[in-house]
Amino acid sequence: MSEGVREPPYRTELKPYGRALLDLARRRDDILCLSGDLTRQCEVDLFQAELPGRFVHAGMAEANMMGMAAALARSGHTPFVHTFGVFATRRPYDQIANAIAYPNLPVRIVGFMPGVSTPGGPSHQAIDDLALMRGLPNLTVVDVADAVEAAQVPEAVVDVPGPVYVRLKRGENPVIFDAGHRLTLDRAQVLVPGDDVVIYACGMMVAAALAAASALARHGVSAGVVAVPVIKPLDTRTVLAAAAGARGLVTAENHSIVGGLGSAVAEAVAEAALGRPLRRVGLRDTFAEGARTAAYLFDRYGLSTQALVDEAWSAAGRADPPPAAPVPAPDEGEYAPV
Amino acid sequence: MTASLRVSDPEAAWTVDDPRELALRIRLRAVRMVAPHGFGYLGQALSSAEQVAALFSHARPGLDRLVCSPGHYVIGPFAAAAELGLLDEETAASYGQDGSPLEAIGTERSPVFDHTCGSLGQGLSAAVGFALSDRLPRSGYRNGAPKENADARTYAMVSDGELEEGQVWEAALFAAHHRLDRLTVLVDANDSQVDGPVSGITTLEPIAGKWSAFGWHAQDLDGHDVDAVRAALEAASAETGRPSVLICRTSTRHGLDCLPRDADGHFLKLPPELAEAAVAELTSRLEPTRE
Repeated sequence: MSEGVREPPYRTELKPYGRALLDLARRRDDILCLSGDLTRQCEVDLFQAELPGRFVHAGMAEANMMGMAAALARSGHTPFVHTFGVFATRRPYDQIANAIAYPNLPVRIVGFMPGVSTPGGPSHQAIDDLALMRGLPNLTVVDVADAVEAAQVPEAVVDVPGPVYVRLKRGENPVIFDAGHRLTLDRAQVLVPGDDVVIYACGMMVAAALAAASALARHGVSAGVVAVPVIKPLDTRTVLAAAAGARGLVTAENHSIVGGLGSAVAEAVAEAALGRPLRRVGLRDTFAEGARTAAYLFDRYGLSTQALVDEAWSAAGRADPPPAAPVPAPDEGEYAPV
Repeated sequence: MTASLRVSDPEAAWTVDDPRELALRIRLRAVRMVAPHGFGYLGQALSSAEQVAALFSHARPGLDRLVCSPGHYVIGPFAAAAELGLLDEETAASYGQDGSPLEAIGTERSPVFDHTCGSLGQGLSAAVGFALSDRLPRSGYRNGAPKENADARTYAMVSDGELEEGQVWEAALFAAHHRLDRLTVLVDANDSQVDGPVSGITTLEPIAGKWSAFGWHAQDLDGHDVDAVRAALEAASAETGRPSVLICRTSTRHGLDCLPRDADGHFLKLPPELAEAAVAELTSRLEPTRE
């Protein structure tokens, strides 16, 4: 049904980004690695162990870390800055705006643990990082789907002239794409063609979008899936081409529906006057509480495959009850859409 | 000279014959830069004139770096740069005007500085980043190795009001831990912030004691004694194993007797008559130094 995409449940990999960054840094000695006291969690313990001379432990001081990264970039180094997404964006926002975004410096900010992928409570959940970073001029904003893409992040972003924000899943990363898949920063990719409804998804919601499309197909709704790894600059050409060929549109992001992928697609579609019904799946302008597991939060806050099926069903113009979306039970070390 | 030259650019060149006279000239130039507007950040130039003059007489052109953390202070180094031929007259005269590269609060287009920022409390982190960069292997640069700067020093202008921002202390901790001894900070302790005297809003004292406790080599001195500032800069350059800070005690009204006693030092009003009196006062004070 879909090109270049595996079937769930997906096997998982650990540290795809950390391994790729180290590999690139072996060949590129301009790369520096900064960490804000979350070194193992951000997969850069590998970098620290092998290239300690280019590893900077900034400590638990994100504002200073961003300011230093700016000066290091200005001096000709290429700093990759690591912490959780929530601490990488909210806490040092003014520093990123003034010291990095405004001078348009090549600092790569890598924020782990996106959205409600952590049961660490609202303090640890980056539910507005895409919105915050998208609001700053000069930023490129990236939310990749799987281990294959995560492993391509360092190479894809290293030579972007300006600053880049990347959010990455912490821990086990699913392998959704075939090995031949290529992450490009200028293109959204149509993973599944469909003309009743199109689901635009980024990050961890790509797996759910693929699962939803399969469930919808079994019930006679042709649902397309467009993976949008780059929220800004948005590939409006691909987004609009897919929208023009569909009856309804759904966006899916592990993020607030305010300011992220849903907003970006809504703006593009509205400016093109396409007049398609649009449903935004994501956190509905709320913080997420009360979890022991991420799966509970995805379900409770409307980020499940079922939620996508429901929204797509309605966006496709179906008035009858939507079908149930089966969720594969993953074995140990496997990953299934929620 | 171009309007985009930074003090660390290889082509930058200047000499300071008499730092005391340069401080006077900074004041006079700053008055003339602010006068067309009728108000502005003249107080910052008045309190920092001796620090800027001492810095330009001590720093090495084309090698050392200059960070201006409080963007409102750019007027002083702009004035010095114009006096020393680093900044052309036309550009200097455009200070604060529409379309000028010299905005009243520093921007990316500000010449002279390696880094400036109008959102306060951020500059020390940049200075720390530069000092850290100078210590890294020479090969690791995007566009090949830069000029030989293994011996470069980074100077950061910081204001006392900025010490209320937590980021300053994050940067101070990092610099001391990493023994960044080629970093010198000049704190302009003029006891002035927007809402009034700093001491009436937040107790910062003992300022030098705080920096010492953070692991810095701290010197507390009269910031209007240009020889004392120069001596302190030399002591800082000789210090090894820890970064240095100069706590320069100053006033936003210093060196300009014609200012009203109750003038607001953060944002001085300078109507035409007062500007005229200020120019006359400073010009007359400059005459004897030429003899």
